[in-house]
Amino acid sequence: MTVSIDTRDTVRALSGAVYKYGFVTEIEADEAPPGLSEATVRFISAKKDEPEWLLEWWLTAFRAWQKMTQPDWAKLKLAPIDYQAASYYSAPKLNPGPKSLDEVDPELLRTYEKLGIPLKEREALAGVAVDAVFDSISVATTFKQQLADLGIIFCSFGEAVREHPDLVRKYLGTVVPQTDNLFAALNSAVFSDGSFAYVPPGVRCPMELSTYFRINAAKTGQFERTLLIADRGSYVSYLEGCTAPQRDENQLHAAVVELVALEDAQIKYSTVQNWYPGDAEGRGGIYNFVTKRGACRGARAKISWTQVETGSAITLKYPSCILEGDHSIGEFYSVAITNNLQQADTGTKMIHIGKDTRSTIVSKGISAGRGQNTYRGLVRVQPRAAGARNHTQCDSLLIGDKCGAHTVPYIEIRNPTARVEHEATTSKISDDQLFYCRQRGLTPEDAVSLIVNGFCKDVLRELPMEFAVEAQKLLAVSLEGSVG
Amino acid sequence: MSAVVDFPVKPETRPYLEAVAGSPGEPEWLMQHRRRALARFAELGFPSRHGEAWRYLDLRPLEQAPLRPLAATEVEAARAGGDPASAWPAAGLRLTLLDGRFAPELSRLGEMPATVWFGSMRDAIVRRPDLVGEALEALAADRDQPFAALNAGVFGDGFTLAVPEGVVVEPPIEILHLASGRSTASFHTRSLVTLGAASRVRLVEIYTGEGRYWRNDVVAVRLARGAAIDRVALVEEADAALHLAVFDATLGPDARLSSTALLLAGGTLRHDAVVRCQGEGARCGLYGAYLAAGRQQANFVTTLDHCAPRGETREVFKGVAADRAHGAFQGRITVRPNAQKVDAHMLSRNLLLGAHAAVDTKPELEIFADDVKCSHGATVGDLDATALFYLLSRGIRRADARRMLIDAFLREPVDRVEPASLRDHLLARLSARLAVLEET
Amino acid sequence: MEFPSLMLEIRNLHARLGDGREILKGIDLAVTAGEVHAIMGPNGSGKSTLAAVLAGREGYEVTAGEVTYLGRDLLALAADERAREGLFLDFQYPVEIPGVNNMYFLRAALNAQRRHRGEPELDAGQFLRAVRAKLKELEIGEDLLQRAVNVGFSGGEKKRNEIFQMAMLEPRLAILDETDSGLDIDALRVVATGVNRQRRSDRAIILITHYQRLLNYVEPDRVHVLLAGRIVESGDKSLALELERGGYAAFGSVG
Repeated sequence: MTVSIDTRDTVRALSGAVYKYGFVTEIEADEAPPGLSEATVRFISAKKDEPEWLLEWWLTAFRAWQKMTQPDWAKLKLAPIDYQAASYYSAPKLNPGPKSLDEVDPELLRTYEKLGIPLKEREALAGVAVDAVFDSISVATTFKQQLADLGIIFCSFGEAVREHPDLVRKYLGTVVPQTDNLFAALNSAVFSDGSFAYVPPGVRCPMELSTYFRINAAKTGQFERTLLIADRGSYVSYLEGCTAPQRDENQLHAAVVELVALEDAQIKYSTVQNWYPGDAEGRGGIYNFVTKRGACRGARAKISWTQVETGSAITLKYPSCILEGDHSIGEFYSVAITNNLQQADTGTKMIHIGKDTRSTIVSKGISAGRGQNTYRGLVRVQPRAAGARNHTQCDSLLIGDKCGAHTVPYIEIRNPTARVEHEATTSKISDDQLFYCRQRGLTPEDAVSLIVNGFCKDVLRELPMEFAVEAQKLLAVSLEGSVG
Repeated sequence: MSAVVDFPVKPETRPYLEAVAGSPGEPEWLMQHRRRALARFAELGFPSRHGEAWRYLDLRPLEQAPLRPLAATEVEAARAGGDPASAWPAAGLRLTLLDGRFAPELSRLGEMPATVWFGSMRDAIVRRPDLVGEALEALAADRDQPFAALNAGVFGDGFTLAVPEGVVVEPPIEILHLASGRSTASFHTRSLVTLGAASRVRLVEIYTGEGRYWRNDVVAVRLARGAAIDRVALVEEADAALHLAVFDATLGPDARLSSTALLLAGGTLRHDAVVRCQGEGARCGLYGAYLAAGRQQANFVTTLDHCAPRGETREVFKGVAADRAHGAFQGRITVRPNAQKVDAHMLSRNLLLGAHAAVDTKPELEIFADDVKCSHGATVGDLDATALFYLLSRGIRRADARRMLIDAFLREPVDRVEPASLRDHLLARLSARLAVLEET
Repeated sequence: MEFPSLMLEIRNLHARLGDGREILKGIDLAVTAGEVHAIMGPNGSGKSTLAAVLAGREGYEVTAGEVTYLGRDLLALAADERAREGLFLDFQYPVEIPGVNNMYFLRAALNAQRRHRGEPELDAGQFLRAVRAKLKELEIGEDLLQRAVNVGFSGGEKKRNEIFQMAMLEPRLAILDETDSGLDIDALRVVATGVNRQRRSDRAIILITHYQRLLNYVEPDRVHVLLAGRIVESGDKSLALELERGGYAAFGSVG
């Protein structure tokens, strides 16, 4: 059997070497000493020269966090995290708040170039404005002026706190409260930067906004906060990418993303997550424990999440929609791949509150190597949500007999006029399909990649074009070594 | 039983720990087993709705007003009047457990092949410890399910059926669980069915009664190679009753289990099926329907564990929740590593008919083998508007049309029940219950 | 270019299924470039197994014998290597691949083969022109291209798609496994015309079929009768007509 779906030998052959983004940038950094206490929170606040109200907000979250425990319901093997071993702040030393790209440390620009994000080459990124977050702070934001001409605010979170405190105070924590869960509370206590965007009423944002997250420093976590507000009748498409160096210890990424879509507004949020997944033996890699949630606050608002999760040692995230406005729409499209010893417990929550709200969930899970992949999704229809509709399609593909694919849907319906349908399948990659492709001359790797891409098609086509191409390549790379 | 207080004890378990368990003169092995199980119950405590396993059942009323196990001396066997409506009129063989104890005068045990053992659990403990000893101690549910552990500690009686290799018992065997209404208490029954290779039985369990009580029933079934059981459970408990039942089955190679459960009446109902397909080629069909109205709670919970290759599972569960009722289905199919070629399908379909009713469903797959075909589906919605309109357009009154559609929706799981007389009885009970609900 | 005139030589080929059942019990066959061979036999005679073994499908074990293809040991090559060396299998049951565009699939396959031969890959425009030309030649509608590989295709569409792929990939040796099964007369004619157009002096074709019907349209140079895993009779096209009259029983007991 040449295309044995058995990965015993080939798993070993797949080393971290295939992770293209595992390099480290040598740069002088300002770091907080390891450990987390009220003093740490005050230290970060002082570093960033944050206003008093935000410090108070952090401290409230910190006190709540101290009383919380690690969730145990996910299908994850996770040792207790030593929060005192990590550092909660690391920032490249630079002039505070560079005004233009020319002031940004050239070493940083080179880093982003290596990651395929040449901040200075606007042509290369035509149509995409980037906020680049390096460890704890935002180092550059492009296209700011062009966007400002339309009244669109797109800047680092720190800048938003300084320049637009009213907007920040009005919306911060209204979708993901400080005490929402352990990791959101941690983020709410120490988040030092992130991205902020506001699209004014009736404006269609002419380009994709994007944030590129990079963890560089060792023994730090990344705790960025993203707040995105689409005012009445506006539209914005947002992209998010992430990478980190290859290290033997685990690093924590506990971000919070809050989306607010007002009446008739639409937000499309796409993520290609490629944090360092650890090596073939499961050493190192990012713990990606992220809280992402959007609120459709007005009638006919729409929030659409698309995620391609290929990296991280452990992923725990449920990008969710709270459908408050009547006729509002929530969508979740997800591809999650686990190879080697990666674990993922991911899915969504669709909370139907308003009348005639609709939600769609399409989840494609791929398990290879010894990976464990769980879809966990909640569809909740509240008593007031007359006429609510949900359709969920949830498919799992197994490549090899040492991995696991799990499906845990929660369907909780409180209104008799709701209609909810859920379908799920689990199967292995088909021998017939593999043979057919190989009989036409494709190598086993190409055959698997082709079939997997076909399997994920319904999700990939939701991605903006330039992201879709990258995602397809990433799928192939993530599965390398899973077929021998 | 003072030994148990040495263990960490959850406060809500205290009323049960001093219960009079068993009866004087019970064998020492059983006493030991009871003590261990009670200690486990004390440690586990009542399940929380924050945990996954009991997410959809509200047990606070029981916590607030405990229902202590009924002592043996309190059971009055004599009972006047005819059979309850739920009982199957055509039953040939019948074993009645009245308030949790064997009632010989309400039972008909004759006409069995000589090699078959059929009788009360108490009788088997004394006369056939070889039959029940090991099986009573080896129940997985006793370790992690608090009420199964409590049951193991305090059960008063039950039934035992042992069929040797190759024997086919043709007439269905009816077990009638009756609550007399005389005692506000809990009845803990524990039963055992062991089927030898290629043997076959049909089992009909009827649960019914009057008054306020808590029935906590555990039935363990062991199927050897090629054995088969067709089992029906009809639950029509009293409105104030709490009914928790665990049906725990282990299937050997090529064994076949078919179980159909109907939850039609009772205040709070939870029906657990725990099935391990241990032998290669074991096949399992789990079917069920609940009809919950008023303030009823009805839960189906299935846990299916495929430990061996080439197993097959079919699950079809239908639910209707009206008024302020709360219905739930929680199903899990696990396919272990190396259990290749498993073919498993789970379907949960629900109708939500009341503005204040609630339906939850959580069909879960946990797959660790790759060469499998597993799927599940779930739907929640109202009656099909087109079908309803079609019936109305033919002149059928709205209430009748709705009842027809609900009846049609719920009967699918019952349709495969044999013999026809039993199926007709179940469908008649279903229709009767629907008629009652229509009036209120 | 020079081609060895002997394209395929099978000597004493024995093969069995994973469960140990022996299906091929000593096949001998030699196919020369430019020839069309028909292998006929009843159900269960081993026809499809022979095709599968030649194409390198998993689940079969070759227990004896050898197969030489263009002077190389065919059995030592993996399935995709055989394909890139110009061996094409027309599937009896073409496989559906959801989500994968038919055109994209074909281009990936064609470019994999071109790379292997050291030829430049075709870009989208060149590929599209080549595709349109072939479609026209084969009387196949363009709508087939934009759908996922074989998904939702009728039986006839699937078979046409196979012939179309064959025309695009230009194999040296094509094995058509019961390509006529389940086709109505019009589809059969289209498929047969496609096959005839692809007869070339440097290409060999093996038709595997149960019925003589296809051979009315595609005239074979040699006909072999396969019974119970062995070729029991070989001859020219008249052998097929003989079979049509007398049935397989005339060649000995089946099984």
